[in-house]
Amino acid sequence: MNAGWDEIAREIVSGSLMTALSLLKIIVPLMVIIEILLAYDLARRLALRLGWLARLLGLTKDALLPLLVGVLMGVTYGAGTLIEINRRTPLSKKDFALIAIFFYCCHGIIETSLLFSMAGANLLFISLFRLLIAAAVTMAAARLPWIRRL
Amino acid sequence: MGGFLAVAGSGAIKGLKTGAMLLRIMIPVYIAVVLLKHSPLMGFLEGLFAPAMALFDMPGQAAAPIIAGFFSDEYGAVAAMRGFTFSAATATTIAMMNLCMHAIPVETAINRKIGFPAGRIIVFRIALAFGVGLLTARLGAVLL
Repeated sequence: MNAGWDEIAREIVSGSLMTALSLLKIIVPLMVIIEILLAYDLARRLALRLGWLARLLGLTKDALLPLLVGVLMGVTYGAGTLIEINRRTPLSKKDFALIAIFFYCCHGIIETSLLFSMAGANLLFISLFRLLIAAAVTMAAARLPWIRRL
Repeated sequence: MGGFLAVAGSGAIKGLKTGAMLLRIMIPVYIAVVLLKHSPLMGFLEGLFAPAMALFDMPGQAAAPIIAGFFSDEYGAVAAMRGFTFSAATATTIAMMNLCMHAIPVETAINRKIGFPAGRIIVFRIALAFGVGLLTARLGAVLL
């Protein structure tokens, strides 16, 4: 031990308090944003305008909404929307595979970007770079023969 | 306007509840990492991971949040990061790697349950994390 016990205890107490405070400063506004997105059906409105994005990613138009919901709000919301959409108009296996690939690269972007910025990461960099990587990987996957055959 | 306030209010309450739940994991992880940092074990671990972390232009300590995130989740990783002082570039690289590769045991169990190819997904995520880590370290050195 380099530091004394009282010094370590002080670090733990103040660090824990600061961590709790920073987390609440992020998670409370985040849940407010998510509730607003849900209440005003904003993801659906956005999906209507982004048909070109679906084509670019190799998705059908119906598959875009669960993707947007998962990317903006988190993977549990995205999966919920996916199940709901699939019940009404069944999606292809290719759509499922591409959504899964995109989600593995990038989901819950508001939440995770804010969260890591709380530990000193660059908010803009991680948000944009992650979207770019996910889009690039999904576009590439959509053109692979074994995914095209699904 | 009343409707909007009700929506925002219910969001705030959910936020407080979710925050309390997350902190039950984050605080113990944070305490464990601070204790580890001050223990003699840390010097050994730093030396062990320094060569691997150097690939990503990071100090050996960066292995702690990466390993914490691998086994717990992003929240565990952030709690672990707060135990140390990292530069913005290092924090961004850790974030990008953890965002590609986290909660592997839990997510593998879920993948098995819904019939996803769990083994292939683990390989994909680890490869993605390494590729993205290398890329972020190079870009971060220029941009951040």
